Amino acid sequence: MIDTLFEGLAVQCVGRCDPAKTGLAWSVFLAPSELLAAARRLYEALYFIEDLTAIDAREGYLLVYHFDHMDKPGRVALRVLIPHDAAALPSIAPVFQGAEWHERETTDFYGIRFDGNPNPVPLLLPPEMTDHPLQKDPEKRAPLATLVAVGDIVRSTADFFLLPPEAPKPEASGA
Amino acid sequence: MSFIAPELLRIVVGMVAVMAFVALNVLVLVYAERKGAGHIQRRPGPYEVGPHGILQPLADAGKLMGKQLLMPKSADPILYWMAPILAFFPVLLLFVPMPFGPVLTVQDVNLGLLLILAFAGLNVLATLLAGWSQNNKFGLLGAARAVSQSVAYEIPLLLSVLCIAFQYGSLNLSTIVEAQGSWPWQWNFLCQPLAFLIFLVSAFAETNRAPFDLPEAESELTAGFHTEYSGMGFGLFFMAEYANMVVVSGVCSALFLGGWRGPFFDGVWWFLIKVYAILALIIWVRWTYPRVRFDQLLNINWKWLLPLATANLFATVFLIKLF
Amino acid sequence: MRYEEMGLTEGDFYSRNFQKGAREDTLILNLGPQHPATHGVLRVIVELDGEYVIRAEPVIGYLHRMHEKMAEVRSIYQYLPNMGRVDYGHALGWNWALVGAVEKLAGFEVPERAQYIRVITTELNRITSHLLWWGAFTLDLGAITPIMYAFDDRERMLDILQMATGSRLTHSSFRVGGVCADINDTFIEACKEFIPHMRGRLPMYRDLVTGNIILRKRLEGVGVFDADLCRRYGGSGPVVRGSGIAYDARKAEATPMYDRFDWKVAVQTGGDSMARYLVRMDEMEQSLNIIEQALASLPEGKVMMPKAPKVTWQVPKGEAYFATEGARGKVGIHLVSDGGKNPYKIKLRSPCFSNLSLFAEAARGTLLADALAILGSLDLVIPEIDR
Repeated sequence: MIDTLFEGLAVQCVGRCDPAKTGLAWSVFLAPSELLAAARRLYEALYFIEDLTAIDAREGYLLVYHFDHMDKPGRVALRVLIPHDAAALPSIAPVFQGAEWHERETTDFYGIRFDGNPNPVPLLLPPEMTDHPLQKDPEKRAPLATLVAVGDIVRSTADFFLLPPEAPKPEASGA
Repeated sequence: MSFIAPELLRIVVGMVAVMAFVALNVLVLVYAERKGAGHIQRRPGPYEVGPHGILQPLADAGKLMGKQLLMPKSADPILYWMAPILAFFPVLLLFVPMPFGPVLTVQDVNLGLLLILAFAGLNVLATLLAGWSQNNKFGLLGAARAVSQSVAYEIPLLLSVLCIAFQYGSLNLSTIVEAQGSWPWQWNFLCQPLAFLIFLVSAFAETNRAPFDLPEAESELTAGFHTEYSGMGFGLFFMAEYANMVVVSGVCSALFLGGWRGPFFDGVWWFLIKVYAILALIIWVRWTYPRVRFDQLLNINWKWLLPLATANLFATVFLIKLF
Repeated sequence: MRYEEMGLTEGDFYSRNFQKGAREDTLILNLGPQHPATHGVLRVIVELDGEYVIRAEPVIGYLHRMHEKMAEVRSIYQYLPNMGRVDYGHALGWNWALVGAVEKLAGFEVPERAQYIRVITTELNRITSHLLWWGAFTLDLGAITPIMYAFDDRERMLDILQMATGSRLTHSSFRVGGVCADINDTFIEACKEFIPHMRGRLPMYRDLVTGNIILRKRLEGVGVFDADLCRRYGGSGPVVRGSGIAYDARKAEATPMYDRFDWKVAVQTGGDSMARYLVRMDEMEQSLNIIEQALASLPEGKVMMPKAPKVTWQVPKGEAYFATEGARGKVGIHLVSDGGKNPYKIKLRSPCFSNLSLFAEAARGTLLADALAILGSLDLVIPEIDR
């Protein structure tokens, strides 16, 4: 049903994961511009926000939003890749108000800016602190392919950045 | 010595005796409260200082006196230091018309009840000054609560006292005690049960004791009106609270429980037994009940106690007129 | 930049950030970081109109220890004791979340006996956590005595837990692939003695405290959360179960072994503070049921998987998310590994963090005393919020 949930949004990749192995049911890659719309779809489908965090990888920051359903358990991970040098993306706090704190925490730890966060001040770290402790040294960053569970790809765009090179490319569907 | 009027001498001696009595009572009550709390909470309570911790109140008093007196920089110094004094010393006056025994009264005042109710009002002023002068927001909220609470509960308290006053046509406590018999069924709490209950509930609120301890509600206002006071500044409020409890219990026992009258031997011991029974009740309630909310506290007063007290007063007056 | 350099002398960053509303006649009050009702170093800035809270903003971070950074500079084994420090109330829930995430990623099969021991100790720990909350919450409401009764029972349970985990507060007895030590007959006997004792105490608590009219009047209808609010803020645990949703991660996430026992998810439909209170009281009974059944059917066997990973073992590549039900809600660990010595990233999903974030909305328009009752009913453990 996740396949139909994001109908009409420019989803980069939808992957079905094995909950027994990864704890995720769906792994969905999106462009930053689609994030708010996707969050709204999830909210309308009665999902709740679990947490959000970032993974500092070689390709950029991969923002990971976890959502779960209270009646039909099955974790959905929304993932958004943003580059290191332009670390900003829209806030989903207008839809999930609980995301405000998670976003502020992510700003503290990674220095990622969330445009539209209603109260963008430091949450956990002292306000005068300028460092972002969870940023990795550039040489220690690992490639995303080793870190992230994409799952069995249900559909993806042709130029999706995590497509396994040897696998036969699934039918490209920009929808 | 002839230039000293015997009346004045009696008052001076009486006041000294009252001061000693109040101080002693505070010590006893602190011990009783802590032991009572310990008993209710299934722990021994103070146990280290002296046998069974009997010297604990003295140690507490020593600690309080030894502490440095602090004042916030932005406080109003005159009002700040006046408040604890104003809280404690008027309480001593409240003991003047108190009928401890058949002859054991500092001064038999005809308008004794009026005197007590009037000077008890000063306590509110002290609380207000304390909360206001320390320039602390918790103190301010505590003071605001204290004023609205005391003003509200004074009315049903007064109305329930008036029932007794009408019944005997006197505001003299000794006369009222005298008029009650020696046996429990001759005491006023039986012919005025509603007034007795209203008086008790209002007394809890007037003395700021749990479940009506909102001016100092610890979990909401840290310490409420005495947040900034240290050492004996706090100590005086503390003593005033206990002294007020004794006064309220004394008035209650005189009005409703026959004062020093009692089976077999009238005398001061009956008075003390009754006072301490009421004090034990107050302590028991404190360690048993949660605190009410502020709007609930005022609702209890305005929606229940006040109408009931008024109705009770009218009924009393009507019956007195009838018979 | 230092505040003085900014040309500001009054207040700190957060009190200046908290803008006064449009009205002139309001009072801004800082509750905390040292305040009797905040159980630690939580700070709440409130704007008051008389006694009514117009706006509240929790300020956190006073106990922040950067557990997530520590995870990246330690191996899993070195990191395990941190879990006992994240939530001192329910340390074993976090223990299980971490070892569960690692086991999920590595595909380890944990022996049944070890899983049973995990269930028993976690549930015991859940009861101690709820008792601690119960005492502290009634203290918030001005009742001073219940905490002494709660601690009486809690002491007995800690003595029992100590036999199994070796510690009384910051338990960290779970290992990747099992638990660190087997339980013995003394422990089992003590548990079997304790269960009827606790079953006798719970009705007493109900009569003494839960039925008290003042307590009921303080809690009923105060801080009503609906399912939508919980969803938007990610509330979990007794907070959602008090709002009529039978969502328990032990069932929803299929925490190992819980499907073998006959227990119910405690649910109340009120959504108010009383509902959350009753959910926790019911959960204690359910936990006793689980412990009793687990003890009765405790399988024989080893408590560590064969060829359990050594200290130098490296977590395989990939990611795993493991969530279980802590005493305060859904405890989750998102583990990402690049196959190196230390985990690449660990995200701690703290239930208190999400539960507290809904406080600002829930407290709006309530009385100050009610706001503190709501805060207490969320069952906050500050180290878990700040991590």
